[in-house]
Parts: sequence; structure tokens; C-alpha cells
Amino acid sequence: MTSSSRYDAIVIGGGHNGLVHAAYLARAGKKVLVLERRHVVGGAAVTEEIFPGFKFSVCSYVVSLLRPEIIRDLDLPRHGLEILPLDGTFTPMPNGDYLWRVNDHARTRREIARHSPLDAEAYEEYGTAMAEQGKFVKPILGMTPPDPSRLGPDVVRKLMFLGRRFRQLPEPDQYNQVQLMTMSAVDFLDQWFETDVLKATMSASGIIGTFLGVRSPGTAYVLLHHYMGEIDGAFRSWGFSRGGTGAISNAIAAAAREFGAEIRTQAPIARILVKNGRATGVALQNGDEFEARVISSSVDPRLTFVRMIEPGHLPEEFLEQVQHYKFRGSSGKVNLALDALPDFKCLPGVGPHLRGAISISPSVDYMERAYDEAKYGRYSRRPYIDCVIPSLTDPSVAPPGKHVMSCFVQYAPYHLKEGSWDEQREAFGDTVIETLAEHAPNIKNIIRGRQVLTPLDLEREFGLSEGNIFQGELSLEQLFFLRPVPGWAQYRTPLKGLYLCGSAAHPGGGIMGAPGRLAAVEVLKDWKS
Amino acid sequence: MPTSRDVIIIGAGHNALVTAFYLGRAGLHPLVLEQRPVPGGAAATEEFHAGFRISTYAHAAASLSPRIVRDMDLARLGLEMIRADPAVFAPLDDGRALVLYRDTARAAQSIARFSKRDAERYPEFAGVVARLAGVLAPLMHKTAPGLGAAVPGDLWALLGAGRALRGLGSRDMFRLLRWGPMAVADLVAEWFESEPLRAVIASRGIFGAGLGPWSAGSGALLLLRAAFDPEPTSGVWFVRGGMGKLASAMAGAATRAGAEIRTNAAVAGINVRDGAVTGVTLQSGEEIPGSAVISGVDPKRTFLGLVGPANLEPQFIGRVQNYRCKGVLAKVNLALAGLPSFTAVAQTPDGGSALTGRIHIGPEIDYLERAFDASKYGGFSAEPYLEAVIPSLSDPTLASPGQHVMSIYAQFTPFQLRGTDWNAQRENLGAAIIQTLGRYAPDLPSLVLHRQVITPLDLEDQLGLTGGHIFHGELALDQLFSLRPLLGWAAYRTPLWGLYLCGSGTHPGVGLSGASGANAAREFLRDWKKRRRS
Repeated sequence: MTSSSRYDAIVIGGGHNGLVHAAYLARAGKKVLVLERRHVVGGAAVTEEIFPGFKFSVCSYVVSLLRPEIIRDLDLPRHGLEILPLDGTFTPMPNGDYLWRVNDHARTRREIARHSPLDAEAYEEYGTAMAEQGKFVKPILGMTPPDPSRLGPDVVRKLMFLGRRFRQLPEPDQYNQVQLMTMSAVDFLDQWFETDVLKATMSASGIIGTFLGVRSPGTAYVLLHHYMGEIDGAFRSWGFSRGGTGAISNAIAAAAREFGAEIRTQAPIARILVKNGRATGVALQNGDEFEARVISSSVDPRLTFVRMIEPGHLPEEFLEQVQHYKFRGSSGKVNLALDALPDFKCLPGVGPHLRGAISISPSVDYMERAYDEAKYGRYSRRPYIDCVIPSLTDPSVAPPGKHVMSCFVQYAPYHLKEGSWDEQREAFGDTVIETLAEHAPNIKNIIRGRQVLTPLDLEREFGLSEGNIFQGELSLEQLFFLRPVPGWAQYRTPLKGLYLCGSAAHPGGGIMGAPGRLAAVEVLKDWKS
Repeated sequence: MPTSRDVIIIGAGHNALVTAFYLGRAGLHPLVLEQRPVPGGAAATEEFHAGFRISTYAHAAASLSPRIVRDMDLARLGLEMIRADPAVFAPLDDGRALVLYRDTARAAQSIARFSKRDAERYPEFAGVVARLAGVLAPLMHKTAPGLGAAVPGDLWALLGAGRALRGLGSRDMFRLLRWGPMAVADLVAEWFESEPLRAVIASRGIFGAGLGPWSAGSGALLLLRAAFDPEPTSGVWFVRGGMGKLASAMAGAATRAGAEIRTNAAVAGINVRDGAVTGVTLQSGEEIPGSAVISGVDPKRTFLGLVGPANLEPQFIGRVQNYRCKGVLAKVNLALAGLPSFTAVAQTPDGGSALTGRIHIGPEIDYLERAFDASKYGGFSAEPYLEAVIPSLSDPTLASPGQHVMSIYAQFTPFQLRGTDWNAQRENLGAAIIQTLGRYAPDLPSLVLHRQVITPLDLEDQLGLTGGHIFHGELALDQLFSLRPLLGWAAYRTPLWGLYLCGSGTHPGVGLSGASGANAAREFLRDWKKRRRS
């Protein structure tokens, strides 16, 4: 291991975006050091053995948005990346029925027809339409946003490109596109479907990681953001990573190391060193200092600009914008070590319905009421829960015959009106179990271990401000050229040599890697000039 | 054989009258058909109780376009506007009230009683709103550009808008881009810390819409309203004699310009042959041929009711069906034996004159949001959000001395109630509103001589507003500007040759500005001149 303290680039944070960023810079021949606060790399894409023999994808638990060009460029399969299919979504209903969609179109069609023949027809059309929308948006994910306030040839070219692409869309797709950009998930789905449970389950992907309800305008876009995974050439669907999501981070880290990057864990940063308006290096909490020409921060803007940079170095106006950037974590995570499998009242026994996502989203009103409680500072008494049992697909993550179950829970507002998350953590965990038990009563008797992560825990443990899993809400005013701060969506910052490369930058969160890659492109562009 | 009219205008609401006026001024003789006995639509004054006159539906005209007032010479035709100041009186649960004046410095003094910091920021906020409004205002009087086809005119319009945007400077430009999709609650929280001020300003982003202050996109509505009235307080312009005076002045202007207005003439259908309109049929059976029809009624009623699905493409019909048009607003009119004593009035330096503007009941963002919550599940809140006025304070023609009339917009009252209907709930709503007002003015319930409750269902029945929506369609991001009423049909034209829209279901569509009517007239005349030349 080289121990010179002079690097070309230092990457703050070893989450998947930081690692992708480091890998691309190293691949371009730069001498790169990644500094990770925790004892493992991966950030929120991490596998940990919380109970002996039970390995959890502690935070992020499914993958689909990982950019194919990154998989290719970094040769991730060779470094151990293997995606296993996550087949379908099973939604139990309180009336004893269920909705079970799978990847097999004909089966899903028959299943939806059981609820509404009209919806079965519409579902086909919907799938095709969304695929078209995904194709339209996809290049935007691979593009550094233009800055409309500085009209240069590059900006004009990009805006013209987007305008032309839009105008070239067939008219029905234009219509869908503007609706997706402006409507609520439920209003959008109302136009297609009549089955309440179908709309409820589908609308759920419109609210993940936001502090919005399924009826809030702007959520239709998030619907698309999550739908894109289902159409991306490489995988075409959501999946698990063998060995948990940490295996993805490990594969990226291995690729980065092979290109020559150095990765240090347990290296928390105290501050970013600034000299004459330029970031010159970082100081660790243990006092070590490292210098580099480029400092790329994969942590969120609040940590980067408020916590790590001493006051006085950044323009007041910029800091005000950073203060306005909304985090407002709205979700928690409950990880369960199970002795047996949950037994659902509406479809008893062990079956393939347990191998996909299990969605507790029985009606649109249920989803909306869950949000209403959160608006006033309480966690939902009956939350939306998205469960997966990866041990059914990947037995390596649990002892033989045992299982791990991951429950993503929304809404759990970071700001509680009464009490603190430290006081309410276990009550919140109980609420999740109670909610699950309404559909699968045996759940209470099969839990061997339970890990409850509140938004506060996500902040403390994983460095996500206010527990926002996307490093900032995916709301319209925080997307594209407004992300994270208007005028600073090009991965650069007011300090020369300091870049952002995490989910707080365009195009945002999810295990996508796009911000890390695009930031690397910009860093390398500046390097030449 | 009836004589063929060059242009038939359906409905004599304010937008239709504006269209009729501009067409008349261009030398046409449009025939305006109104189903009610008087022209004016939602601009009406009625004696709803012996000796008490009220603006039955709309009670203020804050957004009326000055250019239209000038062109139509409405002042000479009897229109007299009264601008209320103080603009807003917002009583709170603790017995205080936030009073806002039109004068920014005076308003700031008043705000200082709640927060020094907010008082300091208020003038800056007012300045920003005024600058953004300045960029948006001209767009209200232009046709919204089409987004789909690259029509050169549209491109110019876009470029023009882009130039105006850049003229703002990057900071304001980004504000404009950010504020639109934001939740108005977030927007006001970025500026102010005191709840009453936040709530009063945020109400501009939700009034008349199926949006709560936490709904994304309510920021756009605030901006849109500011484009017509840049004062952040959104005060009240009354019409002396009630809104009926506006209607009669507009009808007078249209008639003088050459239009003919027929009342009690309800249109049953728009006649279509080979994709072109040929005239209309009245409910009486009378057929009136015409080579063009301009509809001032809402898009749903126009296309689904009057034209009928058989004459339009199924895809277009599907989109019209999906056009969201369910009202959330009710109107309550009260005849009062005396001026109600709002507890908080004594705390203000103005005494009774504090009540001359809008009385805002919605002391906190959460209060407004909770009022909205109920409507999502098909109910109305026992504590509704209210915008009330006592126009008789500044207009003695409305009630005898000492007596008063009070007009109240109540929100959120969903058009479709769950498990019950408005005929069963009408008086319960009235009672909830009186009770809510009674919390701030304890003697108010005992002063009520008469109460008129107009629910969204009544608005549909009486005025023909589909879903009882006072703005002819939901005011949300997906139904504004180039998307109002539908993408590709924002230029007042329709898929049928000779059929145009001029009502609030078109851009800009918000408030009582007349801009939709004027824009529609301009687009119509452009086509008309081409038609004549060819």
C-alpha cells in the first residue's frame, strides 16, 4: 500500500457512488484515495451480519437502476456482481383476497383480470407506454444537467436536444410525459385503472424516499424513476444481488482497486481544507491530513458544505440554498431474522409469492392515511411496508432453514412532533410487526431477531442527513438542473476543486451509480483545462 | 328560416362577455346565449333576503385585468371598484389577529407583533413576488405556447419567455423555476417563521384548488395569482353594488360593441357536420345556424355534453373525461342583524375597519392541511378553511344601515361526498361554518337573520359548472398553461373546425380576470381574418 499523502483526487465517502466515482477517476489514470467513515464500504448499499448467520442488506435491499454502462465499464460481473431475479409483487388485502403480479405477463394479466378485465387490458398498454416514457427519460440520467442561467453553446445544445427529443415523441407519449412530470401518482393511475388495490400498490413506488403522499402532485415522476429499472436493457426487472446489496459495493470497490484506487475505512473526515477559495485536501478526525487537487464528496450537501467546511469559505447565498435543500427522511427499515416463513392468511403456505416483493399497500386511502399521520409528525400507525425475503432466492444469507426478511417502512418522519426516535424506536418496530401480523399472524412467533432503523439511525449510522435515503427528496424542485442547489447541478461547487458525486446530485438516489460516473466525467473535463 | 349568425357564443359569463366585446369591436355581431335570466354567470348580485343584497357566487374581482376594464370602458358603464385596506384580517385562536395592509411597510409593522424577523423579510418577499409576477403577467395575456409541434410562433413565444426569464437574473430565475413545483407550505417556511403569516400567504396557493398547502405545485398557483395581483397579501377588490354590476357593465360593453345577448336561452347541443360546427340547438328545440361557435362553458360540458362523443375522436374524448374538474369550494351568504364582534378586533389599532378586507380563517398551515385532508376521503372538515368578506362595510348599497351581509368561501367541500350527498349535508355545512366563525366572533351565530348555502352541487345545478368547479377545472400543474385544458389544445381551438373555447378551462383560467376571454377572441379573430381572405 502506498502511503504518500499527495493524491490526484480524494473521494469522501465509500458509498456506491463514491466508489463508482473513484473507479472512473482511477481508470483514467488518476491517483485516488477513498475515505470511508465506517468499517465497511458501501454506505447504504451494504451487507452486514446483524445476528449470527443472518446477513442483511441493512438499508438498500433491491437493485434495478444500476447503470448498464457502469456494469460494463467497470466489468462488475468479473468482480463478483450477480443479480438474482426478484419475481413479482404480492399485495395481501384485508378482505382475504390478494393481488399478485409476476414477471410473466400472461399470468399477471389473468390475475388482474380476476379483479377487473378492463384493467387487465389497460395493464398491457400501460406497460408499453411506461417503457416509452422510460426510453425518453433515460438519456437524461446519463447527462450532466445544463445550467439555464448561463446560456452558452453547451446549454443551448442540451436544451435543443431535449426539446427535439420531446417533439419527436409520438403525440400520445408527449401527453403521458407531461402528465408524469406534473401529476400525482394516483391521478395518473386513475386514468388507466379502476382496481383500487392495483393503483395503491403501483402508486407506492411514487412515494418511496419522498415526504409526499400518493395523491401529491409530483409523485408520478418518482413512479417513472422507479419504473425505469424494469426496462433497462441489462436486467429488465428488479433483483437481488447475491450476497446482499453489499456485494454490489464490494464489486465496485474491487474494480476501483484494480484500477489503482486506494480505499481506507474507519477514516472519518473532520473537515475539508480550503485555501484561497480552493479545496486543497481533507483532515481526518484523527488529525491526519491528505492533500489532493480534486476533492469529491459523495456525502450530502449538508454534511459537505455545513459540517465539513468551516464558515466563511462559501458565499452566503449558496449556503442559504443548501439550507433550503429538503431532506426530511420519511422511511425506516426493519430487518427480521426469522425461524420460519410468514404465512399469509389470504394465500397460506410457502409459495412463490414469498419470493418477490410483499407489499402492504391494500388501498389508496390506506396509503394516503399513512401519509396524513406523517404530515403532523407521527409515524404511520398502519404504514406502507415493502418486504422481501432474499434468503428464499439466495440461501447464502441465512442459516439453513432460516430466513432474513427486510421491511422498508414508510412513513416514519425524521421530525417527530412528540418524543424522540430513541424513545419510539421499539414502538415503531412493534407497529410494523402488528401491521404485518394482520396479514400473516404467525410473524410474531417466528422472529428470532429484529433490527429497527429509524430515520435518526440512518442519519447517525449511515451519514444520511435527516435519514433521507436519496440524500435529499426527489421532488420536482430538487431534480435535474435544480439538484441539489439551483445553479450548481453540474457536480461543481463554489469552491474550486470541490465536487459532489453522491445521490444529492443529478439524477438522484437508488443504486444507480449515475451521479458518481457523471461527476467523474466533469472532473476529468476540468482536469484537462 | 332563421338567419345565420357569424359567431355564436355559449354562456354569458365574464369571459364570454369579454370575447363577445372584442369580437364586436372587430366588426362581428356575435350572438351570446345564456341559460340564466341574467348575463354574468358567477358574477351576480341578488337580494337573497328582504333588504339584503349579496354577490351570490364570486364576491371579489381582484384579478380583473385593467386592460380589459379600459378597453371595455367599464367605468363609464357603471363599474366602480373598491379596494379594501386593511387587506387581510386573520383572527387566531389566542384572541390575536394578524392584520395585513396593502402598504408593505405598514404590513411589516403589523407582522412585527408576531415576528421581528418576518417583519424584516416581508418587504424583500414582496419585492421578489412583484419581480416574478412582472415576468409572468404578460404571459397571462398571451396564448400559451404549444409544447408538441415546433410552430415558429410558439418558438418565438418560448424564446420571448426565456429572454424575460434571463432578464430576472439567475437568482430570481431559479426562484421562479423552483417555486412552481413546490408545496406552498415549504415556500413560505423558507421565508417566514410565524404561522399566521405563513398560513395567510400560503392560502393563495390553495384557494379554489384541490390542493393542501403541503401539496406540490401549490407554489405555481401562488405565482399565477401574483401575476394578476402582485401584492403578497392578495387583498380584495369589491364591485360597488355587488358583482352583478360587473356583469351588467360587461354585458353593456359587449352589446354596445355589436353583440346580441339572449338570456333564458339554454343551449342543448352544438351541431356538427363533417368535423365542422354548423350552429347550436337550444333546449327549446330552436336551431340557430352559425359558422363558428365559441364556448364559454367548461371543457367537459362543451365536449362531452354539448358536442357529444360521437363527433370527436375516442382518444380526445378519453382525455376530456380525465380532465379533472371536481370543485372543492362552497359559498355561504349571511344576512346579519349587525356587525359581528370579532374578539381580536379590539386588539388591532384599526378597530372595526380591520374587517373591511378578507377575513381569513385558517390560522396555521396544519389547520389548512387538515381541512384539506377531510376532502380526500369525501368529507368536509368541521373546521373548514374560510375566506369571508363583509362587503356592506364599504358598500352601503347592500344592506340597511347597521345591518350587514357576509359572504364566505368555504373550503374544502368535495363535490362528491362519500356515503351521503349535498342535499343531506347542505345545512350541516352551513352550521359548521357558522360555528367556526363563532369561535372568532362569538356573537355572530346570534346575528344571522338568513343563511344561504351554495354547495358544489348547487354550483353545478345553478351555473352549469361541471363538478361545481368555479375555475372550470382543477388548477394543478398538469392542467395549467400549455396543458390547459389539454396538451395540444391550449390555443383556444378545438379538434372541430369552427369551435373555440373561451372560458376558465383555458389558459390562464385562474380568477376573474377576463384574460381567457380576451385571449380566445384574439385567436379566433386571427383565424377569422384568414378565413375571410381565403
